[in-house]
Amino acid sequence: MEIIVNLDVMMAKRKISGGELAERIGITQANLSVLKTGKAKAIRFSTLMALCHELNCQPGDLLEFRE
Amino acid sequence: MHWTRDKSIGLSLVCVGFFALALLALDIGIYWFARAFFVVLRGKPWQYAAFTVASVYLCSVPAWLTLWSLWRLLRNLRSGAVFTEENARLLRRVSWCCAIAAAMTALNGLYYLPYLFVAVAEGFMALIVRIVKNVFQEAAAMRSELDLTI
Repeated sequence: MEIIVNLDVMMAKRKISGGELAERIGITQANLSVLKTGKAKAIRFSTLMALCHELNCQPGDLLEFRE
Repeated sequence: MHWTRDKSIGLSLVCVGFFALALLALDIGIYWFARAFFVVLRGKPWQYAAFTVASVYLCSVPAWLTLWSLWRLLRNLRSGAVFTEENARLLRRVSWCCAIAAAMTALNGLYYLPYLFVAVAEGFMALIVRIVKNVFQEAAAMRSELDLTI
């Protein structure tokens, strides 16, 4: 079982680039890439909140649980 | 006097250098020192000096390894790599070297009792370094997790 990060799907829907999103939420592009590729071990509430705010979505739209 | 982080590490590196010189001097002069101490001063049989010379040369190997590991550890600290797996490995090596030296010195306690006190001190040092190694290992694991927290 795993948690899938659907950040790239949501970014495509909102037509926003990685660089722009990273700048808006105040993290580096490298960290955004870690998040997109599912290599992250944890995500801070502050980062999740900023992502939801900028992408105008809910946490459930970004994170998905798979058996 | 205000000591910056780099100066403090530099001082530790100098101390490691001094200990290396002292160890070199011990390696070169142990024959004459042991002979003077046991045979001339104490009037003991020559075997006492021979065993001491042999044990110093045997303990010299882990001692050099320890100094080399400490040198590398300090260089890593200076470059900013503190809580890493490599540093934990270096500390584990130092701990094992202390334990090996303690075992060798304890054997010498069989013919000259004061060596036992040195062996206990070395064993205690091995324990302290081992615990510091455990701290470094835990910190390295925590850091790796924190690095991947976005």
